[in-house]
Amino acid sequence: MKIFLIFLSAILVNNFVLQKFLGICPFLGVSKKIDTAVGMSLAVTFVMVLASIITWLLNGLLIAINLQFLTTIVFILVIAVLVQFVEIVLKKTSPSLYEALGIFLPLITTNCAILGLALLNVQSNYNLLETVFNAVGAGLGFGMALILFAGIREELEFADVPAPFKGLAGALITAGILSMSFVGFNGMIKL
Amino acid sequence: MGVFINSVLILGILGFVSGTFLAFAAKKFEVKEDPKVKEVLSALPGVNCGACGFPGCEGFAKAIVKGDAKPDGCIPGKRQGVPEKVKAILSK
Repeated sequence: MKIFLIFLSAILVNNFVLQKFLGICPFLGVSKKIDTAVGMSLAVTFVMVLASIITWLLNGLLIAINLQFLTTIVFILVIAVLVQFVEIVLKKTSPSLYEALGIFLPLITTNCAILGLALLNVQSNYNLLETVFNAVGAGLGFGMALILFAGIREELEFADVPAPFKGLAGALITAGILSMSFVGFNGMIKL
Repeated sequence: MGVFINSVLILGILGFVSGTFLAFAAKKFEVKEDPKVKEVLSALPGVNCGACGFPGCEGFAKAIVKGDAKPDGCIPGKRQGVPEKVKAILSK
């Protein structure tokens, strides 16, 4: 039951983008089209899940030899390697998506949502199974926020928006309203 | 002293393992690129200024080989004879 709660909480209640405000850069950067948003969410979810598993294991090792101060640098290293791997694979398998994601793909390395997730897993004392579910939930939550937002932005292109709110200004306001609607889930799951 | 050696060891091992992993991945998922792109890229100044309108010198080099850009599109390289060098590579 706790695992299910962690999973649901990561998607809805503690959504990384809309509630914790982590990973805003790709949220605004690659949300112009639903296709790229889907690709980005898949890449981020993949990195999140693998990074969570590896960092959880490494954290156990670091505690065992009493080197907790290395946590941040080790986590960043793991994330950077995984992102590079995703980049290499994408370049080979889907050049069009690779082109569409552009600079935002290598920027997953410095995406605070992923480091935040890895650190939160460790701080919450989750076991490995809970960590995996939290990571999948966080990735899906990120994807949901990104795809919802991309859908709204695609529709906004055709709407009659006043000139000052065209483009990024309107997108930022939309993001705020979207985030406000998710505040409604606040406190629904207490872990 | 033990902490120092341990940290160096653990980061060294981690770095080595990840580096090897990435090297293998890069080899396995290698993308065959037109060798001309590399040649054009090395003829460019490499300042990634973006004045040509492409994302970095690599983007410009790819566009030239594809035929989407003209060799004299590189503004910082114009005076150093970059367009001529690029044309020589393209006509090879």
